[in-house]
Amino acid sequence: MIRIENICKKYPKSTQYALDNVSLQIEKGEAFGMLGPNGAGKTTLMSIITTLALPTSGNVYVDGEKVSRTRTDIKSKFSLVTQHVSIRKDMTVSEVMELAGRLYGMPLKQIKEKSDDILEFTGLIEKKKSVARGLSGGMQRKLMISRALLTEPRIIVLDEPTVGLDPHSRRKIWDLLISLKQKNITILLTTHYIEEAQNLCDRVALINKGKVSKIDTPERMIADLGEYTVDTFESGKLHSEFFFTKEEAYEYAKDIPGKTKIRETTLEDVFIKKMGTELGDEL
Amino acid sequence: MTDASVKEKKLLDKIIRDEAEVSSDFRKANAFTGTMTALWEMWAEFHHEWKRITVASLITPFLYMVALGWGLGAMINTGDRPYIDFLVPGLVAMAGMNNGFTSVGMSFSTQRLYERSFDQVLISPTPLPSYIFGKMLGGALRGMYTGVLILLLSLIFGTSINVNGWFFLLMLLNGMVFSALGVLAALLAVTHADISRFSTFVIAPMTFLCNTMFPVDRMPVVVKGIINVLPLTHASGGLRGIAYGGGASWVNFVVLAAYAAAFMILTSIVLVKRRNL
Repeated sequence: MIRIENICKKYPKSTQYALDNVSLQIEKGEAFGMLGPNGAGKTTLMSIITTLALPTSGNVYVDGEKVSRTRTDIKSKFSLVTQHVSIRKDMTVSEVMELAGRLYGMPLKQIKEKSDDILEFTGLIEKKKSVARGLSGGMQRKLMISRALLTEPRIIVLDEPTVGLDPHSRRKIWDLLISLKQKNITILLTTHYIEEAQNLCDRVALINKGKVSKIDTPERMIADLGEYTVDTFESGKLHSEFFFTKEEAYEYAKDIPGKTKIRETTLEDVFIKKMGTELGDEL
Repeated sequence: MTDASVKEKKLLDKIIRDEAEVSSDFRKANAFTGTMTALWEMWAEFHHEWKRITVASLITPFLYMVALGWGLGAMINTGDRPYIDFLVPGLVAMAGMNNGFTSVGMSFSTQRLYERSFDQVLISPTPLPSYIFGKMLGGALRGMYTGVLILLLSLIFGTSINVNGWFFLLMLLNGMVFSALGVLAALLAVTHADISRFSTFVIAPMTFLCNTMFPVDRMPVVVKGIINVLPLTHASGGLRGIAYGGGASWVNFVVLAAYAAAFMILTSIVLVKRRNL
């Protein structure tokens, strides 16, 4: 279980808090999503959980133990896929994997065997002798995901892991995340593909301007807004209204002149509605 | 389910094991694995580019030997020994400094600021001081590699100097000092250019002033005092003492060891305490 307690983070030379008194709890084996606009503080929170950055105040606990850069026992439970590509580009694919395994104290034999299985799954086995610099952006991301799996984490932190991946590869990563969930591995995910969060996450937190504005299951968030949406197009602008029943939606739509569309509400609607309200017209 | 998806499912089951299975495996990052990992990383870096590294590291010492050893050297009074014998230990000390600082500092700065691959080290369970110690050792070994090449090259220039185990120990300590300084500079750097600036302000002056190319005896007292506390002075002085057959002072060893320890401690503190790396 991860417990985040009153985390505040202020970067040097910044007048605003990147995270402002954030507290939340993530259960063991839970897939927890963090959604928010750019600059909301999601990556900062991920960085603090994994000790990449240290908070200005507040603490993070894993299974009741306080996380710090010197707590190697806690750190061995984590793997992180960063938003930016973070691999040694002068190394070959298999060297990148070996470095990760060595950093986690894995025996060499195990590193080599496991690397081959993972690279086969992610489709990089043919590239294992290629230098990382020569891989495409999508392949570099797959390599980062492969590396994160090698060390068999109990908590996997994924900061926009599927950015730049083709739809097929993205689906494959989804399958992978589902398998991780089945093995009771805790997943922390940020993504701009809200469909990804809706399909994979047990709960999501909406984060904006360094604060958590809502935490709930995607289903409950959708139900709270209304499970049916009527989209209307007025002067080239999309406008959505939300309803709790299909009948209410039809009733509303029939009086609207012009093109309308009735559909099921998605988490993206919740996100846009919530963030739109909080940001005014900034979005 | 297609054959491909059955195969994928099997692979996934193999890749993601149950918690009990994972925890029963022996695996633990510790100080030893941390040091060895950093050393392995530097070896991987070296073996990709060893030809370029070798050639590049010999050009400057070769030019110094030609320009100063054969050229200006005839005009410099270094007592009863030829100037080339004076110069070579200084060049070996310089090579230790430059290689230690560059191979570790520049590379570390690239990993931290540009490739961001240092993030993976930071979040890993490897004890960070042991990783730094491995980097220091790796940088020192790179310096020693160049040092040995310089010693071999110097034979062409007719040097006759004494080299023994103490000589190599001093080379190792010298390389460790500047590798640790390289890591520290790379950790404090805000941009990659800061490392070059650090090199200009700290490394370049030492290259010329620290008893490497000319004796410092005739320097003004204050300048000599400052030069005498700098680590490279102790490296070049100690190496020269051994090269001349007289041996190095224990002070040289102690000063270099103290610098190496101080830089390593400072680096470890920065790594553990600095909020934004």
